[in-house]
Amino acid sequence: MVKYIIRRTLGLIPLLLGIVLISFALMKLAPGGPERQFNQNPRVTEEQINAWLTRWCLEREPTPIGIVREFSGWMGFYNCDTESIFSASGGLNLLPEFLGGGDNGIIHGDLGISIVSARPVTDIIVERIPATLILTSVALFLWVTIAILLGVIAAVRRYSFFDQTVTFFSYVFYSLPTFWLGLMFIFFFAVTLHWLPAQGIVSPRDWPPFNTPQYWEAFGQDPWSAIYDIGRHLVLPVTVLVLVNIAGDSRFVRASMLEALNQDYVRTARAKGLPRRTVIMKHTFRNAMLPVVTNVALELPFLFSGAIVTETIFSWAGMGLLFIEGVTARDYFLLMGLILITSTLVIAFNLVADVVYAIVDPRIRYD
Amino acid sequence: MAKTIRPTEPLAVDHSHVAEIAAEEAGTQDFEVALVSLNQWQLAWRRYRRHRLAVIGSGFLLAMIAVAIFGTILWPYNPNDIPGVTTPGGDPPTLNPIENLFGTDFGGRSVLQMVIVGARISVAVGLFTMLIATTIGVTIGALAGYAGGRLDGALMRFVDLMLAIPFLFVILVAARFFGGGDPVTLIVIFGLLFWAGLSRLVRALYLSLREAEFVEAAKAVGVSDMRITFRHILPNALGPIVVSATLIMAGAIVTEAFVSFLNFGIRATDVSWGNALSNSKGYLLQGNWWWPFFPGMALALTVIAVNFIGDGLRDALDPRSKE
Repeated sequence: MVKYIIRRTLGLIPLLLGIVLISFALMKLAPGGPERQFNQNPRVTEEQINAWLTRWCLEREPTPIGIVREFSGWMGFYNCDTESIFSASGGLNLLPEFLGGGDNGIIHGDLGISIVSARPVTDIIVERIPATLILTSVALFLWVTIAILLGVIAAVRRYSFFDQTVTFFSYVFYSLPTFWLGLMFIFFFAVTLHWLPAQGIVSPRDWPPFNTPQYWEAFGQDPWSAIYDIGRHLVLPVTVLVLVNIAGDSRFVRASMLEALNQDYVRTARAKGLPRRTVIMKHTFRNAMLPVVTNVALELPFLFSGAIVTETIFSWAGMGLLFIEGVTARDYFLLMGLILITSTLVIAFNLVADVVYAIVDPRIRYD
Repeated sequence: MAKTIRPTEPLAVDHSHVAEIAAEEAGTQDFEVALVSLNQWQLAWRRYRRHRLAVIGSGFLLAMIAVAIFGTILWPYNPNDIPGVTTPGGDPPTLNPIENLFGTDFGGRSVLQMVIVGARISVAVGLFTMLIATTIGVTIGALAGYAGGRLDGALMRFVDLMLAIPFLFVILVAARFFGGGDPVTLIVIFGLLFWAGLSRLVRALYLSLREAEFVEAAKAVGVSDMRITFRHILPNALGPIVVSATLIMAGAIVTEAFVSFLNFGIRATDVSWGNALSNSKGYLLQGNWWWPFFPGMALALTVIAVNFIGDGLRDALDPRSKE
């Protein structure tokens, strides 16, 4: 088992390298250099721009060698300050800091500085994670639970009225554009009925902005009403996410259940005269859940990458909205960091899914 | 959709039914049975027709394509024709005249006309993305699956890479940096990004089909690899490919609308359903529901239609993958 995990992890290294290369290439191919970002800001002097470019090994008209240098600087192999592959303390720059390496580049956990806000990308991302986690974990939990319920019932009562209704509505909600559904929900529940807030994470009149020190202070004073406030803001975006995502999972659970129901051991269990309930819950359900567990593991990166569409519609200041802000402002480093982190999570959870599958299903051989 | 279909094998004709037809044709004798044999496509068409939602969906999609092609010819669109409005975000729908059936936008332009003009972009993006992505996906998948070995390994690692990077991220970045508001560029970007999943599917199909006896037979009589790949194996793999092509089309239509909604897609002066939604967003709080509602409805119905067509095609062409 350990050997299997190690081998799979090593197999991920080329994939990771590819992701790094692609995200870098995408930024490099984009028209207009990063220094164009300062065109609108008259206070930034030419010297400051030059210093900034040097800090990140950026060049105005990069030569092929310059691009390699830029890439190695971003990766952390190359030290832009000493202009060599050695760090200021004399060691190889790619080594960890306590071994005399540098502190720049993604291998040292430094994703660069956001062009727009001039703050470290890592800080900005870490700051946004709580908001996204609240939204995505509630939504994921709800849609997986409901999908399993609907899928199991639909499979057990195959072709019944219930099954057909679930199937029809899964298709409809699966096809509905998320952003349009969100807009209509806002119009109906927030603008017309005034039941729920239309946007944001907290009510701006009663609470400081979410995830600031002031907010947590206010939260500590009155946690219940703070949770209630967030809860009210959660209802609409979570509903949209659940409605749209339930379709795929419930179809998956249904198919998996149907397959399990056709197995010989289920027939045997029935023939033994076991109660229907026992047959379904103990014999069928547990076996049908094996592929579902893997499928859910594959959905876990969503927890961190956030829901771009939903967060945009509801102004939910999480990772998805951060990405949209980055794209709008052409914030190179931020975008590279986000793509890198999300892709890494995706392949990491792919591995987790495989390993989990190998653990829960003793029939799988992993050598 | 879930409904009972009889397992219909090729040439396994439903005898009772045929006997009835034959009896009708032959007059009254019910023992004179003429067997009508149907080929693959006729059987598929029969299965497709039985999927009511798919038939409705195809009708709707054809109507949408007709609207996209002839709509602006019959009712020319002039963005500068601004009749003026009485309410801040535009006027609510009225039944008379037809122009105001769906209400107007903040410039007094007819939302109905915007839906008609916007259909062009959505239909074009859907169809052409499907075309490009399917061509790339089938070629790469077929190459990997048929050739195998090192080429297969390299191509599939590349596909892994494409699938690992969050799709919407790349689309948005590419549309923002290279799109420039041009529909053709957008279609090319979509086409270059939508094929990865399909190629994996095609590879799996080819891996199993290349071991089939008819391939061995073709090889034995000296058919070239190229011909085997595209003339012999491809028709047998067509069912799942067609189904997943419809999914690509639905995905492309939604993605275009979303990218345009965020103002990274079609340039703001052009009309697309996504643009209409984007422009109307600011007026939603004033109770201006008709402006986002109708373009969004057109978008939703088109996508639902395409998805139902895909489901019908799955029943018709690929009956084994039903569950």
